[in-house]
Formats: sequence, structure tokens, C-alpha cells
Amino acid sequence: MPEAPVDVLIIGAGASGAAIAWSLAETKMNILCLEQGDWVKSTDYPGIGADWELRQFGDFGLSPNGRGRSEDYPVNDDESPIQASMFNAVGGSTILYAGHFPRFHPSDFRVRALDGVADDWPIDYDLLAPYYEENERMMGVSGLAGDPAYPQPKKPPLPPLPLGKLGNTLAAGFNQLGWHWWPSDSAIASQPYEGRDGCINAGTCLVGCPQGAKASTDVTYWPLAIRQGVRIKTRCRVREITVGDNGLADGVVYFDEDGNEQKQKAEVVIVACNGIGTPRLLLNSKSKQFPDGLANRSGMVGKNLMFHPYGLVRGVFPERLEGYKGATGCVIMSQEFYETDPARDFVRGYSFEMLRGMGPVFTALSGMSTGDVDWGADHHRTYDEFFDRTAGMVVICEDLPEACNTVTLDPQRTDSNGMPAAKITYRLSDNSRKMLDHAIERAKEVLHAAGATRTTTEAPLQVAGWHLMGTARMGRDPETSVVNEWGRAHDVRNLFIVDGSVFVTSAAVNPTNTIQSLALYVADTMKKNLANLFD
Amino acid sequence: MTNQTLNDERLQLLASVLDLVIPPSPDGNKPGAGELGLANQLAAGMAGDAMMAAMIGAGLDKIEQLAGPDGFAALDPSQRQSLLEKANEEVPGLVPFLTFRVYTLYYQDNRVLEALGLAPRPPHPVGYEMEPFDESLLAPVRGRAKLYRTTERGE
Repeated sequence: MPEAPVDVLIIGAGASGAAIAWSLAETKMNILCLEQGDWVKSTDYPGIGADWELRQFGDFGLSPNGRGRSEDYPVNDDESPIQASMFNAVGGSTILYAGHFPRFHPSDFRVRALDGVADDWPIDYDLLAPYYEENERMMGVSGLAGDPAYPQPKKPPLPPLPLGKLGNTLAAGFNQLGWHWWPSDSAIASQPYEGRDGCINAGTCLVGCPQGAKASTDVTYWPLAIRQGVRIKTRCRVREITVGDNGLADGVVYFDEDGNEQKQKAEVVIVACNGIGTPRLLLNSKSKQFPDGLANRSGMVGKNLMFHPYGLVRGVFPERLEGYKGATGCVIMSQEFYETDPARDFVRGYSFEMLRGMGPVFTALSGMSTGDVDWGADHHRTYDEFFDRTAGMVVICEDLPEACNTVTLDPQRTDSNGMPAAKITYRLSDNSRKMLDHAIERAKEVLHAAGATRTTTEAPLQVAGWHLMGTARMGRDPETSVVNEWGRAHDVRNLFIVDGSVFVTSAAVNPTNTIQSLALYVADTMKKNLANLFD
Repeated sequence: MTNQTLNDERLQLLASVLDLVIPPSPDGNKPGAGELGLANQLAAGMAGDAMMAAMIGAGLDKIEQLAGPDGFAALDPSQRQSLLEKANEEVPGLVPFLTFRVYTLYYQDNRVLEALGLAPRPPHPVGYEMEPFDESLLAPVRGRAKLYRTTERGE
């Protein structure tokens, strides 16, 4: 039997869907969230088992194409040097993220005005700052006030995570060069916080946190939203958003957990499916009014796909670094080269983020693939030169929007319900390549300053497509953007988008804090305009 | 012990091959992969993995054939290594396959973890102790001027 119409239907229970659900819950509207994945139990996580490292290549892998989970949809990334990464569950990709939680810089919202490239955002840092603060409190961010890379005040609610021997070694390298660094803003509780346990430095963040210290939204926003009456239906994959004769969205068609087609009517529809899932759904929602896909009169749905081009540089050190201890990706961050410098041959900039070392299995497999670890008589000598003696750093380059980088519907592949897969077409820009080259050389420099005897490099990092942005971008002009400055579709006045799709530019930091802060801002604006939301 | 998929003789041969992939460490702290009993684990896995059964079966056949009537056990370590390399040429992918499987099993084993100086357990639920962050490291950075660019709204 079809469910009664709801006031607000949210599609996707990840980072932004959770944040907006919690914020709207106080209105006491009837709010339902449909999520194609399921809840992940703490006992499901690999970190409690001996095979935890191996499961990074299996059911907890980054790419939906290799996990073999029915709730995933395929992403055809044959025409991209970067593979798309995501996770489909309550919590979405926050289940597997490292928990890096930096804010954008003020200049990130003004790239056209400052640097003459891309477009300015219709909002700015000052507007978003209170929502950053609220989101950091809700997620439980660990960090340290006083970072000269950011406007102050900016005070994370929890003290920073420990650096450990590895972090201290790298920090000394930055100090030797006189470069900026700061303990990472991390969505990982450094001590017990709001009912969550503190981090125990187990180092399994990228395959989920059985401890609950990492702020995936299944343990932060969702319990609070549900307590206030929001409902989630899991294993429900939305096929299309439907439109009434009045041109407004009137609900969705979805597949339930048994694969049966269902309909759900709604007064307001909020899409929170990430920078690939959202354009896929909109493009699949064709109708007489919207023959090119819902809310796509501008033609911008699926255009301007941005990743962050990543480079990975590992240093090999003569002494052991205890790199298996501590939050995997959250050590220190450097923004020495973040802002545009006219002396360089590229615009905009990049961040450095330090990584912990590799576990015992990953050391062996990585050494096998690079040829650094031998089998046979020399195995132990070559293995011991690497194990617990490597420290990595990634460079995160700002990606600028280009219309040729796209998400489209794959003409052949489908998901387990027969819905077209997403296809991404992406190329690295000349600016990105120059930026990567610059960043890799600086990364080697600082690793050597820290004591590394040699370095290895991978750039662009193929697996690093975990930041999905720009494919339903925000703007004031309906001819060139999909949503307005508070996330409402120009073409469909009761349709909102709150994930990374709405980003105008990508900045050079991890996007989750900004995605969620934007969702809180959109929710606040909706609440202020409830009486005339569709005007 | 006779395994479901390999008889005692073949199991012993597989163990010898695994000891070649990861031999005991020169200091005696780490066992060889065969000595660790990984042949039994691989043989057990062959029952439910046709590709693995085919690869290991073909590999052992080739090794037996190349070793001749005196058998693999009669060869010295360098001859064994040469023979395994030769077998890999004739059964393409044999050594990478074995190496991948052996590495993943060997470096999960508690005896190996202890030999590496790690606690013989998964990371959760105990985790690891770490010293808290030492703010004195930041002294040079705290003294710097702001690094971000000013925009039109003040900050």
C-alpha cells in the first residue's frame, strides 16, 4: 500500500541529507529519507578482524565498481584518469572518509573576482561561517584554534588528535623549511563527545570506525534527527523524481528492498545523492516539461564535474615511525601553497595532508606492485626497509570547473534495478597538471627535510575520486546554473539540492564540512521562508 | 594431514614452494610461509575458488615436472628459486598469484605480527596509546602573519 504523502522527502542519507534532516526536524514537518544503502553495524566493520587491510580491496573498497554490493550503482569511469569513490549506506561516504574537516578559505568563494577564472559563488565565507561552526559542533571536530591560514575566531570543539612519532617527524620537516602546517581539523572525536567514544588510534578510519569516534553521520546527525521524528527507509533506490502538471516536483518513483516499484508523494523534494548520484537521478527524471532531465533547462546538470586531482608522495625513513598508530589521514595539514601566487605558472593552489604509514599487509602488497619488496631470499630485508618506515603525504589541488567534464547516463550499463549507470568523462586541465607538478616537487622537498632517504610518487592518484562536485551548480542566473543561492532549483521551486553538486568551484580542501554547512544554511533559509517557500 | 583438495605429498610440495616465496628470516624471528602452515590455508581455499585451484594445481604440476625424478626437495635453495621462475614462465602469473595470496595470509598471522613488533590482534577494539599533541612544535607557525587572502567583506 502506498505511503501517505510526506511534507519533505530527502533522497540520500549521507553527509548532507543527514544535516538537512536534522535541521528541518524542528519544524515538526513529516520528513522521510529514502536511502539505497543500509545501516552499517559496528560489528560489520573490518577493523575488528585480522583481515581488515584486505577488505579495503573488497566489500569496504572505495570504488562502487569493485565492492559487489547490490546497493551500489556502477560508475563507468573508463574515460577518466580518476576513479569515482563513494559509499552507499546511512552515513554515505562519511562511512569511509578520512574525516578531514577543513573549511574553505574566503578566497575560494571569489575566484573570478580575485583570479579571473571560473565563477564567484553567490554566497561567501562570512555567510557560511556560523554554519561551519554549528556543523563542527554537531560532528564533533578535533583541532586547534589560531591557525594563521584561516580567519579567526575558528575554534574546534575538541582538542587535536595526537601526531605521534610520524607526525612529529613531518612537522619538524615543515619547520625546517619555514612552511605552514597545522594539526588537521578532524571529524574524529579526540575524547568522548556527545555519547560517542573517543578515538583509540586504531588506524582503520578508511574502512570505517567500529569505535564510533569518527563522525560518520549515522552516529552524529541521524540519531538526533530520528529522535525528533524523521524517518529513514533503507534499501530504497529512487529511480526518478516525478513532476505534476504545475511544474512542481510531486514525489518519486523508487525500488524497495525487494525490487518492487513504489511511489512516494511529497510537497518538497531534497536531493542529497552526491556529485555523481544527483545528476544521474536528475538526468533520469525526464518528462514532457523536462525532456532533458529535471531542472536542466540550463543544460548544466551533469556539467562541470570537479574532483580534486591528488598526488601521493611517500617518503622512506631510516627509523620506524609508529605509523600504524593514529587516525589514518588526519595528522597535519599544510596550506603554504594554498593561495594564488602570480610567480607560479598556474592559478589557485593546493593543500598538503599527511598520511599515516601502511599496515603489514598493505606494505607487502604495495611493495609487490612497485617492485620494492622482493619474494624469495631477499624478502625480509626488502620488506623491513619499508615496514613502518614510510610516511605519506597527499597533495590536493583545486580543480576548476570545465563544461567538458561531465556526468551522463551510461547507454549500456545499469544497476541492479535496471536504472542506467553513471558515466563520467573527465580530463585533467593544463592548470591542474602544472599545479600537481609543483606540488609533487614541494612534497619531496619537505619529506627529505623531515629525513626521508627517498620518495615515491603517484600523480594523479587514480583512486582518489572521492570528492564529487559541481554537477548542479549554484548561481543567480538560471541560464548558467541549476540552483539558486540557497539550493532551490531555478526550474522547479520545490526541489532543493544540498550535496557537492552545487559547488561553483572546488577549493583545495576536503569538501564535507562545506557540503554539510551549506545543507544547514539551505535548511535555515527554508525555515525562514516556509510561508512562501515556492514563490 | 590430507587436505580435501591436495594429498599429503602435494601439500608438502606447496609448503616448500611457499617457504621459497617467504623463507624464514635470517635471524630466525619470522617463520617461513610454509612453516607457518599457509599451505593448508591455501588448499582449503582451493575448494571454493576454481581459479585458485586451477592456478595452484597447474603450478604444482609444472614444478613436479621441472624438478624431475629426484623431486623439488632435493634441490638447493637457489636451484628451487630458478625452478620456480621457470615454472612462472610456463604457467604465466603463477608467482604473482602465489605472492599475493601468501603476503595477505602471512602478514595477518599473529606470530608474524609479534615478530614485527606489533600487538598480535586486530586494531579494534583495543587500539594504541599515543602521546597527546605537543603544542610547542607550532611555535614557528604561530608567529606567522595570516596566510589567507582578504576578500571584499573584511576578512
